[in-house]
Amino acid sequence: MRLSGLQLRHFRNLGDQELRIPAEGVAVIGRNAQGKSNLLEAIYYLETFRSFRRVPDEQLIAFGEDSFRLVACLVGCSGDVSGGQGDEIEVAAAYQRAGKRKKVSVEGVEPERLGDAVGRLSAVIFSPLDVGVVSDGPGLRRRFVDIVLSLNVPGYLDALQRFRHTLAQRNASLRKESPPDVVRAWDGVLVESGSRVMLERLSWAERWAEAFTRYYQTVSGEEAAHLSYDPAFAIDRADLGRVEELYRQALDESARREARVHATVVGPHRDDLRISLAEEDEHRDLREFGSGGQRRTAALALRLVEAATIRAARGFEPLLLLDDTFAELDEGRSERVLALIEQEEPGQVILTAPKESDVKVRRDALPRWTIDAGCIQA
Amino acid sequence: MSAIDRLAEDFARLPGIGRKTAIRLVFHLMKRPKEEALRLSGSIREVADTIRPCERCGNFAESDLCEICSNPGRDTSLLCVVEEAYDVGAIERTGQFRGVFHVLGGRLSPLDGVGPEELSIPRLLDRVGSDAISEVIVATNASVEGEATAVYLENTIRPLGVKVTRLARGIPVGSDLEYVDGTTIAEALAGRREM
Ligand SMILES: Nc1ncnc2c1ncn2[C@@H]1O[C@H](COP(=O)(O)OP(=O)(O)OP(=O)(O)O)[C@@H](O)[C@H]1O
Ligand SMILES: [Mg+2]
Ligand SMILES: [Zn+2]
Repeated sequence: MRLSGLQLRHFRNLGDQELRIPAEGVAVIGRNAQGKSNLLEAIYYLETFRSFRRVPDEQLIAFGEDSFRLVACLVGCSGDVSGGQGDEIEVAAAYQRAGKRKKVSVEGVEPERLGDAVGRLSAVIFSPLDVGVVSDGPGLRRRFVDIVLSLNVPGYLDALQRFRHTLAQRNASLRKESPPDVVRAWDGVLVESGSRVMLERLSWAERWAEAFTRYYQTVSGEEAAHLSYDPAFAIDRADLGRVEELYRQALDESARREARVHATVVGPHRDDLRISLAEEDEHRDLREFGSGGQRRTAALALRLVEAATIRAARGFEPLLLLDDTFAELDEGRSERVLALIEQEEPGQVILTAPKESDVKVRRDALPRWTIDAGCIQA
Repeated sequence: MSAIDRLAEDFARLPGIGRKTAIRLVFHLMKRPKEEALRLSGSIREVADTIRPCERCGNFAESDLCEICSNPGRDTSLLCVVEEAYDVGAIERTGQFRGVFHVLGGRLSPLDGVGPEELSIPRLLDRVGSDAISEVIVATNASVEGEATAVYLENTIRPLGVKVTRLARGIPVGSDLEYVDGTTIAEALAGRREM
């Protein structure tokens, strides 16, 4: 899939512009605070209809305006990157401060549910913020897996939403100290949807663990790291019936603790992805023992796994958005990650850098654009 | 407040009607012949005066008992539990059900402060305990809340020695498989039958 055109209107400092994006991608050069990250944020917004910086939509509206609008023209969504004319689709999103109205459309038609428009544009963003996925609490890691799976596994988002809804009801019931039979009435849907979520996360982590290690080690050039799923209770067999059985058991066993803390204490909302450094059979949590560079390396490897997931699930190359990503790695690591991207990611690349000498990916093949006070020039 | 504003405000309190629609409705009524407005107000008055919940099942009734409860031809050993009185109509229109009903008046939803006591569940248990009922059919909605309500009812009624069944769920008639959500297809698969 590639992005062939982008219309921007009152999105952050980007003003009112229409861009034709070259098939191979582009390198956008500009000093600090000119709008480089804003541009990538606008593109990524058209994938999930949220900011990758995890800020509310209001903040994305240009100062002094009351709405923004973005339109992307996409080619090759069916997997054929050469893309004939008939293959083009248009994805648009607008947000209005008054009434907090978000309007999304695909080919001019508003989908019944926002979820139906999510993921038409398919991009992977590499940003300095990614390091938080590795170094912060488990919430950000669950969010990362949830986004990847929602976009690539049919039925995942559905199960996740059912789970969250049921969890909220069940917790409300626990807070009110309802009798056990009232609390347990929610267990059926909780177990059915929650087990599906856990099983998909587990299968994903198992399927890509080896690739993660390979990506990590290629970049680090030395130490290895491991990715595994760390569920709230042990899962001995990756089978839906078995996970449901274990989840029921775990709920039974935690009944007393639940009554004490007034909340559901086992389930996918308590899971984590474990990322660890491996040194002679010993696994040390990277979150606690990793250096800054090692965490950044792990964050990159996670994004590369995300790109590989898209390729496997949807049969096309995702668009790569590289936000001044490799600035903070040492020379060896940044060279190796670039080599890896060159070799594994033949798709379209949009990258940003503060100066020309920082453009290292496809140095010769990417056209240069500049950005100054939000104004982009080819 | 003027009479117009008052009426608009009353309309806007109805479900699915916003301020703008409410004002449109008022102006529409005023443009039409007076009799139309009076007929509408008459119908509303009549419903308000005569319709009340059936003392036995909670369905809409014009006297103490609803038409279904007062019909001697209905099979009182077969009890169908629904969330709202309008669900009775949906099942009646099929013409397939000869039993009687019980209206819960909602569904379990702790987030909205609705527990078993806020619903007509104590009354349901009385009926199941005293009337000669052989089967309770739980026909709550297929939402998360409807599902939890059904599970709760099943666990509460079964110990009383009465058979409890649940409406089968599956692919809506007339819909293409590719447009049906995954949960529905999974349920239809689980509930498949031999041909
Ligand atoms: N809602 C908004 N309306 C207008 N301008 C905004 C808005 N939000 C942020 N900005 C402006 O955008 C600029 C920052 O843009 P951005 O984060 O894209 O910078 P950048 O080019 O990526 O810089 P760096 O190289 O430092 O990462 C700031 O000047 C900021 O004032
Ligand atoms: Mg930036
Ligand atoms: Zn009745």
